[in-house]
Amino acid sequence: MEVLVAQVINGLSLGSIYVLLVTGFNLLLLAAMIIHFAYPQVVVFSMYIAWVVLRYTGNSVPLAVLAAVGASVAINLASAPLFQKIMKNREEVDINSTMVVSMGIGMIITDVLSHGFNKGLPISFPRQLVGDVALFRFGLISLLSGQAASLAVGVLAVSGVFLLLYKTRPGRAFRAIAEDPNGARLVGIPLLSTGLQSYALSGILGGLIAVLLALMLGYASPGLGEQVAHKVLAVSIIAGLGNLPGGLVVGLALGILEALAQGYLPGSWSNAIAFIVLLGVILVKPRGLFGLKL
Amino acid sequence: MPLPLYYFLAITAINILMSWALYLPYRVAHLHFLTVANMAISGYLSGWLVQGLGVSFWAALPLGFAAGGLIGWVISLFIGEAPTFTVVIVGFTFIYITRTVIENTKAVGATMGMFGLPLVAGSPALHRWTILALLYSLVLVVGFLIHRFEHSRLGRAASAVFVDKDLATSFGVDIAKLGRLLQVFSSTVAGGCGVIYGFLYRSFHLDFFTFHLVGLFMTIIFVGGYATMWGVVVAAPALYGLTLLFPPEVASWRIVIYGAILVAVLVLKPEGFVTRRLVLNLERLLSSQRKKIQ
Repeated sequence: MEVLVAQVINGLSLGSIYVLLVTGFNLLLLAAMIIHFAYPQVVVFSMYIAWVVLRYTGNSVPLAVLAAVGASVAINLASAPLFQKIMKNREEVDINSTMVVSMGIGMIITDVLSHGFNKGLPISFPRQLVGDVALFRFGLISLLSGQAASLAVGVLAVSGVFLLLYKTRPGRAFRAIAEDPNGARLVGIPLLSTGLQSYALSGILGGLIAVLLALMLGYASPGLGEQVAHKVLAVSIIAGLGNLPGGLVVGLALGILEALAQGYLPGSWSNAIAFIVLLGVILVKPRGLFGLKL
Repeated sequence: MPLPLYYFLAITAINILMSWALYLPYRVAHLHFLTVANMAISGYLSGWLVQGLGVSFWAALPLGFAAGGLIGWVISLFIGEAPTFTVVIVGFTFIYITRTVIENTKAVGATMGMFGLPLVAGSPALHRWTILALLYSLVLVVGFLIHRFEHSRLGRAASAVFVDKDLATSFGVDIAKLGRLLQVFSSTVAGGCGVIYGFLYRSFHLDFFTFHLVGLFMTIIFVGGYATMWGVVVAAPALYGLTLLFPPEVASWRIVIYGAILVAVLVLKPEGFVTRRLVLNLERLLSSQRKKIQ
């Protein structure tokens, strides 16, 4: 029983990372109507930038956080013109092109990380910065500071993004541009600046996720983004693309499933179990459990 | 025949076949990455049949085709008319599951892979000529079938589905059946390619079937042109040959180069270099020349 409870706690914190990534992914989907498949790769890139800053500033955490957020925002803003050019061609190009461009960006980021940082080897964050301080401990059951932080930020981020998109004027402007750029222009919404704001916002969220991931995992590797990207897209599809509460439920469920598989199965099979379950659900419900919100 | 030329010709043929396997389902907007998993499954299956059970290569090859087709058919029952992103994630998920199963299966060498597969013909030179003859015969047969498909009612139906699914349905196109047909055909081709790919190197290793392969095939299709089958024929040798021309220190960044080319082409030349209009103009030109000669 203790193992079960401990693994559920681990699963909730792992799931909260998926929730954060799915929320960032959905934000771009709802605000810019792009399937940013490489969003997790951008997050992992930001982790690497934070690692570099930590190394050269004597483990200055504020600077590392700033660097992670800055890197994520910079990549998002740099890729914005590419996506916007494709969206302009939407009449002649299929919408899936944004996903393929994003995959291309992901290929570049993953390969740059494996060639340009730490000789392609995984990086580890300084032990004193990793959130492994136990807030409480009871036998095998414990709640670490990193786990609590990621869970809290996950719930806050989903609520915040939900409120922003559906209850505020800027949120309505984001969705209007994504839905119908010409209509949005007619009602006086500045397309360029509002579009860029949505990319910057998801960049800020990406930077914060990078910090939390570093806090929770304590390491990063070039292939991490790729692996997480597939899970994030799978979670988004199962939840229903653009469905923020659905992403919260499915993200946490996936985290718990993975943690239970790790607890009860040989290590090399646990990842496959998560993918088999994801595959099974996608095959039976290809349009998601909770419906599309686009 | 010099070895570098042999490998260039053989890998170009594999790239053409696999890119066609990806191109064909994309005619109905399905990015069917399951093909890469099928390649691995059929390849390892044939390796096990030949090395483990002593079956001849010529008996294992059709079984490889059949295994690919069978898996493609089963999966297509669920995703025959699924949205593009769902098909994408099913493919990626399948690749992960396949890799994990192979990693944990001792009969196919687990993480070590399979080495020392027998020659498919009497001597090394004859082996090489046989592999090339087999590959290019397959290129001709598959190319012919795709060409016939493109000029048939089904090809026109696929074009209609790509542009507007609702319109295609109202014209009486059975989207699910068409999607299934194309997915099964592409999986069958991929299965056969997987067998030949392994016997080309006379070994199988998980590193042969990575996400880089997905990136390469995707780049070939979108750079060559996703609207006609001829784009693949032009882009496959050009992109593979391009990296062979670079010095080793630059060539090791080939994924970054492919990714950058992919993004640039999608943004600047969305239909790729060999467009439908270009092919139509060439066909008209050839037809008028033929009439002049007659």
